[in-house]
Amino acid sequence: MRDRRLTRCVLAFAATLLVPAVVHDTFLLRVFTEAVMWIGLAVTFDVLAGYTGYLNFGHSAFFGIGAYTTAILMVRAGWHFAPAAALGGAAAGLGALIAGFPTLRLRGAYFAIATWALARAIQELVLMMDLTGGPDGMRLPAFLSPRFFYYVMLGVVGVTFFVYWFLLERAPFGLKLKAVREDEQGAKALGLNPTMLKIQAFILSAIPTGIIGGVFAYWVTFIDPASTLGDLVSDQALVMVVFGGMGTLIGPVIGAVLIFAFKTLFWAYLSDYEVLYLIILGAVIAGSVVFLPDGVLGVLPQRRKEVRNLA
Amino acid sequence: MELLPQALMDGIMLGAIYIIIAIGFSLVYGVMHVIDFAVGEWIMLGAFAGFYLTEWTHVEPILLLPGVFVVFAAVGYLFQPLIHRVLSGHRGNPLLMGLVFTFGLGLMFRGLAQTFFGFYSHSIPSRFSNGSFFLQGGGFSMTVSSVRLAGLVYALAITGILHYLLKHTDFGLGVRALAQNRDAAGLMGVNNKRTSAYVYGIYVGTSAMTGVLIGMILSLSAKMGPDFTIFAFFVVVLAGMGYLAGVPAAAFLLGIIQSFFLIYLDPGYTLLAVFAILYTILLVSPTGLFGKGV
Repeated sequence: MRDRRLTRCVLAFAATLLVPAVVHDTFLLRVFTEAVMWIGLAVTFDVLAGYTGYLNFGHSAFFGIGAYTTAILMVRAGWHFAPAAALGGAAAGLGALIAGFPTLRLRGAYFAIATWALARAIQELVLMMDLTGGPDGMRLPAFLSPRFFYYVMLGVVGVTFFVYWFLLERAPFGLKLKAVREDEQGAKALGLNPTMLKIQAFILSAIPTGIIGGVFAYWVTFIDPASTLGDLVSDQALVMVVFGGMGTLIGPVIGAVLIFAFKTLFWAYLSDYEVLYLIILGAVIAGSVVFLPDGVLGVLPQRRKEVRNLA
Repeated sequence: MELLPQALMDGIMLGAIYIIIAIGFSLVYGVMHVIDFAVGEWIMLGAFAGFYLTEWTHVEPILLLPGVFVVFAAVGYLFQPLIHRVLSGHRGNPLLMGLVFTFGLGLMFRGLAQTFFGFYSHSIPSRFSNGSFFLQGGGFSMTVSSVRLAGLVYALAITGILHYLLKHTDFGLGVRALAQNRDAAGLMGVNNKRTSAYVYGIYVGTSAMTGVLIGMILSLSAKMGPDFTIFAFFVVVLAGMGYLAGVPAAAFLLGIIQSFFLIYLDPGYTLLAVFAILYTILLVSPTGLFGKGV
């Protein structure tokens, strides 16, 4: 059963590798690249939300830290893209360590708002600093190769997904996180260190987010506080995870694909009604909580029993 | 130095408003164990209700406060069962789901407000807006605007009423019992569902009223919500979660920080300073300034 699912995943991944061979339209390839990026952001969000039970409303902070670190290193220090993006991931990880240390000792609600406040504070800081270009944002050296970026994004997200799959579904780490989520006191009694585990999960979630942010910065060649640090990044990741199914690896992927497809169609046909998108996001989040507590994944018949057993 | 008394006074008057927001927020957390991410949006909706009512009726907005309270308390009372349903679910993590749910609601309210009320900033015209007192003595002088003074009086009055309600009535006893131990309170005959709905109603009502005052003193816009959610949370954490007696001191501190940044430093850094203080408090004393939170 497990192995068959792995085969399916590998097959699906192989299919995504072939996308640029089939899709020649630059715009369409751009859409695919962004879809892969959102899959990455949703999956990284779920490590903390689904597996550990802590909502990170500051997911955009790590995305933005990665993007800005990469941009600053490339523009101001003349670094090459790859080491800059790697350092972007490291900076995001460091940010998670610093931010997580006091907040993750506490209950979930503190963490949720503290990370939100952190994201807004960083946004404010970036707006004020000269180094980041303030509200004008930063322009990166353009490298126009849609294929290159598709493969880089796919590589980053694919490796992340595989590492997560191994750590969370195969190694004991995933079970430990779930133990902390279900009963922190109980986990402590079993000799686990919940705070340490939560910080590890937070860092595990932040590093790929930072790298994705770095790739995003180089890809779109222009970043500003709103596009990389705005609330919308965290909000969309949250809605993808909740809608797809929390606490699984495949749920966020499904959620990301569905929500992103919707978003693309929405912006293509209804872009005059910009705010409507916010309303729909909110309604989908609230509606999923009430009507789909296990996400879309919980509605699929063969999955339903499995999800129930997990819960 | 000349501005110091002015900064302190402004801070205290601003802080008074945060008291009301934070008390409601804290009460809801105590009774329902959920952080309401929509608190800022309730404030925003209340502010717009006050704005449009004043525009239509030309009545002094302070006189409209009781009406706003009644309407929004009813809305909150009718809304609460939905949140209760999410929180009493058995699958997954109900508390986490409650958080997600109120966050989704907040997002929806913000979107709706931007659709119907637009992106512009307004302020509620009041007869008190132009009046001010000028105090002078001992080498210091300061201006006290009467609308801010009215806000201070209002905040103290509401705090007094809530204090009486909590400490001297059976309803308040029930609320405190629920906050202490939900199951035991249920066994003692406290109706969890109904009491929670009342508390949520009171909280939404007072938040909306405070929104009207904020609209009179500062300004209102469809995007004002999140800042107030963060401020409410900051006050509650500083006071110690669930420790209501610590709320006033924490709220005044926030108000003073804000007015100092406004007068002496760059107001753009306010949120950063708030976060830095929040971070330090969580690091040093997670149970708040007084060490009495949960």
